[in-house]
Amino acid sequence: MLYKISVPQVADVEEIRVLEWHREAGEAVEKGDLLVELETHKAIVEVRAGQKGYLRKILAESGNWQAIGLPLAVLSEGENDPVPEDAQALTDLPVDFEIT
Amino acid sequence: MSSKPAVAMKKMFFREAIALAVREEMRANPDILILGQDVGPFGGSYREFDGLFEEFGAQRVRDMPVAEAAMVGVGVGAAAAGLRPIVSITYMDFMMLGFDPLINYGAKLRYKTGGQLTAPVVVKTTAGAKGQGVAHSQCIEAWLMSVPGLRVVAAATPADAYGLMKTALRSDGPVVYVDHKRLFPVAGEVPVGGDAVPFGSAKICRPGSDLTITTHSFMVRTALEAAKLLEKDGVSAEVIDLRSLAPLDMKTIVESVGRTGRLLTLEEGQITTGVGAEVVTRVIEHLGPVQFTRVGALPAPISSNRILEAACLPDANRVAAAARLLQSPKKLVSSY
Repeated sequence: MLYKISVPQVADVEEIRVLEWHREAGEAVEKGDLLVELETHKAIVEVRAGQKGYLRKILAESGNWQAIGLPLAVLSEGENDPVPEDAQALTDLPVDFEIT
Repeated sequence: MSSKPAVAMKKMFFREAIALAVREEMRANPDILILGQDVGPFGGSYREFDGLFEEFGAQRVRDMPVAEAAMVGVGVGAAAAGLRPIVSITYMDFMMLGFDPLINYGAKLRYKTGGQLTAPVVVKTTAGAKGQGVAHSQCIEAWLMSVPGLRVVAAATPADAYGLMKTALRSDGPVVYVDHKRLFPVAGEVPVGGDAVPFGSAKICRPGSDLTITTHSFMVRTALEAAKLLEKDGVSAEVIDLRSLAPLDMKTIVESVGRTGRLLTLEEGQITTGVGAEVVTRVIEHLGPVQFTRVGALPAPISSNRILEAACLPDANRVAAAARLLQSPKKLVSSY
């Protein structure tokens, strides 16, 4: 099973800037691992893996912008599940996020 | 001949565009300083001065007590003495406390001294409703448009926030620089190192042929949304972002209304003696009778209750409805 990890809904925010990825494509991740920090106009949003799996593909690199609801990365349950070209069609993995 | 520095488009948040303009101007001119509440290590109420305290220190980025009359007074006085202060007033509502130094002293100094003294102070303030109730939500920029000697500007995009701040910090008289709470989450491309945006220069943000919508600040976004709704009805709305309320760019406005024949003014503040009232009057002075309507907040205080707040404020549907009425000739157009 493959999932997309999308920019979470943060009140008032339309678009975020990817501040820093903490994991690389291909790495195994555990539930709760810090994947990426996003920057809004006034806060940092820490996005954590909602389940264990493999971070397969990063779609918005550090420094890039992404709108709320659009995908940041693809996560798979199996290490070698084929990643489709269009991540938008994948199921959204609920993310744990914390605004600091 | 000196070559112009290269312009690089860079995407950033609205607050970052303000901070960048201030940073560049502070580097270029040691007389510029910032006075305000939470402007120091905190970086500004909306983080619009982020990093400036670290770069320029407490001498030039000064936290002030909660005393707006004193802040504006110190700013005007420092400007008269040769400095170029930015006075940051977190909520435009509290600018009222600083009207005496700003209007009676700052705006009149050049006139009173026969041009020997000027007060190059920028009062930067944040207007608009965002859940904070009667005394933290108002848009009172129209009150200031009638003060001779005062310039009033309001950006709707990060690019204009940058360009207008640069012009404000190079101006010789007092400038009121108005931004809006709901614009701070916005990001956009900024021409870093580009030309400053001159005052008195409006911008056509969407060309159209059936009516002209003039507006400013956050309501530019509302007008553009309304224009999309109207497009579905086959009505082509031209949207003009005034950017500068004093002086007004009557050339751009009059040329537009001359083409479209209809004018809708939109503001988040009150329409009674509002920005729109002035725009309509001047358009008619230039063109003679045109069909017009004014859209603004309902004549009530802005509640902190979300439903009542939204009911009071113009939204795209209200603007589109008013525009549709304007399309029917000889119909009495109600402002509300």
